[in-house]
Amino acid sequence: MSPREHVDESDLHAFVDGELDAENRRRIEDHLHSHAEDAALVEGWRRQNAALRAAFAQTVKEPVPAGLRTASVTSLTRSFGSGVNWARFSPSKGASLRAMRRSDTSRRLPRRPAIVMSLLTLLAGAVVASAALLAFTGPASPPAPVQRAVIEPPGLVAHAQLAYQTFAQDSRPVEIGADRKAELSTWLGERAGFGRLPDLSAAGLELIGGRLVPGVLSPAGLLIYQSSSNARAALYFERAGGEHPSAAPPKTAPGLAAVEWRAVGFAFVLIGPLAAEAARAAAESAAAQASR
Amino acid sequence: MGQAEDFDETLERLTPGLRRYARALLAGAANDLADELVQTALQTTADEARNDSPSAVLDLRVDLYATLTHAAQRRLRAAAPHRPSLRQPAIMHRLADLPFEERETLLLVVLEGFTYDEVARITRTDRPVALMRLMRARSALTALDRHPSPGAEAGRRTGPHLRVVK
Repeated sequence: MSPREHVDESDLHAFVDGELDAENRRRIEDHLHSHAEDAALVEGWRRQNAALRAAFAQTVKEPVPAGLRTASVTSLTRSFGSGVNWARFSPSKGASLRAMRRSDTSRRLPRRPAIVMSLLTLLAGAVVASAALLAFTGPASPPAPVQRAVIEPPGLVAHAQLAYQTFAQDSRPVEIGADRKAELSTWLGERAGFGRLPDLSAAGLELIGGRLVPGVLSPAGLLIYQSSSNARAALYFERAGGEHPSAAPPKTAPGLAAVEWRAVGFAFVLIGPLAAEAARAAAESAAAQASR
Repeated sequence: MGQAEDFDETLERLTPGLRRYARALLAGAANDLADELVQTALQTTADEARNDSPSAVLDLRVDLYATLTHAAQRRLRAAAPHRPSLRQPAIMHRLADLPFEERETLLLVVLEGFTYDEVARITRTDRPVALMRLMRARSALTALDRHPSPGAEAGRRTGPHLRVVK
């Protein structure tokens, strides 16, 4: 590129942003020596840059919240080629669910859900407002039909949690008990599309049975397991496209841990009053058997 | 597995910058939302990169910022953006006044040090458009400056900001 005579504003920006090669840099420097107005402009942008960087300099020095550090590092993701969401009710302290259960959870209401709720409220308000707007402005722009192949949050984990809370503690938690495994497997296979009954005994959980439950978009399966201390966990599964878990990190009720993943055309959620490591171990075991 | 470890380390190394960008993109108003977007971007990018060929990982940083940018754009369209609080610096308020496209472009260049070509890829546009947005952003921030230098301002504010300087 031969050096040009003219210097236009885009050259000055490119100069400030280090986009120029040595030759053009010299050309602009020469130009700035003889054009005070442009030199002032360049100087102004540099001050602007410095102010911007200074305003956010503190952010990079802050410790990264634990929730973000673990977001990408999960062996499940690597082993099964699908994403995993680790639900935690206190993202900054993902540590010990047991410790949380011991403490008085009502006194430690996390702030974040409150913020999420107010955001949701805002969002709901915006939706109502735009719906009203649409209704009053007539049929000029009919809303496009929403086709969702992938279940979006908060649908799936919240739904699995509801199914868990509805059935797990019920006096009749399952429709078909583990003594009729073949029947259960056939039933769920026909209706929910997935008939395997993962054996989680390695994670200390014995299958007590399962049932068909309404899913977010289609019939879903709920398998209920019980630990030696009589704690009940559930594996929820529903047909779902996509390889990625819900975009937002799901939140569970205090005391419950959930792990969400996608594989073989299904969304899975393992949920129960488990410690984080136990939930993870159980989910890994279930995922291995489901994908086999 | 060694490659996967490197990959995760790369993501971890990029996380602080990504948080900075997310906060700036939301004009410093909602740090919780910013971190939520960062988490979305990390997860989506990690999943995509693992499913793709390893060569795609070369552009990991660009992918990461692109995912975050689009997630932020969707969120800001869905809900009215928060305004920065009064105790935040003036630059934050000026940033919040910029249109989203100009803000993202300015921040990618100035704060995150991307080249114009990378910015064009992240914002799904081409280089001239990215450059145009950058110029508008800088011009708007300068115009909003509390102490404008009137002489340098006068000729700049009108026109399409591509004035040829002799």
